[in-house]
Amino acid sequence: MLMCHVKGCSTDNFPLRIEDAEMEQVEVEFNEDFCRRLINKIDWPAFVQTAFALGLDQLPAALPDDLDEEFLQRIHKLALETKLKAGRMVCNGCKHVYLITDGIPNMLLQETEV
Amino acid sequence: MQPDQTVDYEALERTHVQSVYQAIAPHFSATRYKPWPVVEDFLGAIPDGSIGADVGCGNGKYLGVNPKLLTIGSDMSSNLVGICAQRGFEAMVCDNLHLPYRTNCFDFVISIAVIHHFSSFERRVAAVKELVRTIRPGGKILIFVWALEQEDGSKRKFEKQDVFVPWNLDAKTFAGKSKSVAANGGRRKGKKNQGQDGQDSAAVVEDKGDTKEVDSATTPSSPEVANPNVAKTIEALSLESNPEDAAPKVVVKSGNENIVYQRYYHVFVKGELDQVVEAAGSLDVNKSGYDRDNWYIIATKK
Repeated sequence: MLMCHVKGCSTDNFPLRIEDAEMEQVEVEFNEDFCRRLINKIDWPAFVQTAFALGLDQLPAALPDDLDEEFLQRIHKLALETKLKAGRMVCNGCKHVYLITDGIPNMLLQETEV
Repeated sequence: MQPDQTVDYEALERTHVQSVYQAIAPHFSATRYKPWPVVEDFLGAIPDGSIGADVGCGNGKYLGVNPKLLTIGSDMSSNLVGICAQRGFEAMVCDNLHLPYRTNCFDFVISIAVIHHFSSFERRVAAVKELVRTIRPGGKILIFVWALEQEDGSKRKFEKQDVFVPWNLDAKTFAGKSKSVAANGGRRKGKKNQGQDGQDSAAVVEDKGDTKEVDSATTPSSPEVANPNVAKTIEALSLESNPEDAAPKVVVKSGNENIVYQRYYHVFVKGELDQVVEAAGSLDVNKSGYDRDNWYIIATKK
């Protein structure tokens, strides 16, 4: 899942920039209601920015008023079916790098950064 | 120059919570499968499509309980998080005291059997405060902690609040494979040698006179074991244990070798969780109760 929209750097910078991304697609059952609610929850600009930066999709800057099934399927694919297997998440503010290995992000900080 | 020995709660937790879970991950995971009803009900009542977090998710037991929710797991133990990932859940390694989540972002948060691993009141409050920070106003939280007051019929009786609870690891399953166990993060199914799910059975460590210090070749090295501040903290908390006992020990019992780890807990007395929640702030308590040897609170963020 492209869960960039809920992660934040400890020094208050969001979204994290994703580099050297290794992604994979998984199949997740589509649920329209779930998708609609999810869209309301995510930070839309951050989501658009990240999807674009990863070369996955170019979403409209503003969320359309009318969300048709085709649009929802696009979101479903990005948010729920695209998994980050490996990569680096970089904070634009402080440059701190968080690593993702085997699909698991390590968000631990060193003592000095706390 | 050696620093003075000072109480170091973090070091105690590294040795007696984090390192232990890393070492026992697959075995621990094998005993954690049955969701507790109060937690299931809580998750069942959350509106479909909500996003939340399970902080201290362990093996991901609750991440899939309500498939209509998006629950992100996190834990300090990379081995346990690895098990979550293998099950297809979304999980990351992070610290309850420093959550990487945005403020006010989650619809719900659950903290099941986690806060009792923090060794000071301040740290327990800080942990709850961090959880609360990530919940949006109106969002819900459920916290479960082990109670000092155990139900009648329980084998266990806590005399004090700060305790070590042993975990026995079959050395045959473990020894020599410790590195691969740590690396695999749970591909092997551990033996279910801990009795009922949810709590450890009262692990009775019988010292049949053949206790020896663990050979560093057979266990993952725990750098904190040598930290003198851990001993100081054990003393400060009046934990029932010699500092020497704090290191994992091999115990031979009826011909089987077990490695015994001591897990640190602060068990809660009635009303104490309410105090911690009150001190953390920004929560309206909806329900405060007791279930199966645990105190729990359900609250809404103001």
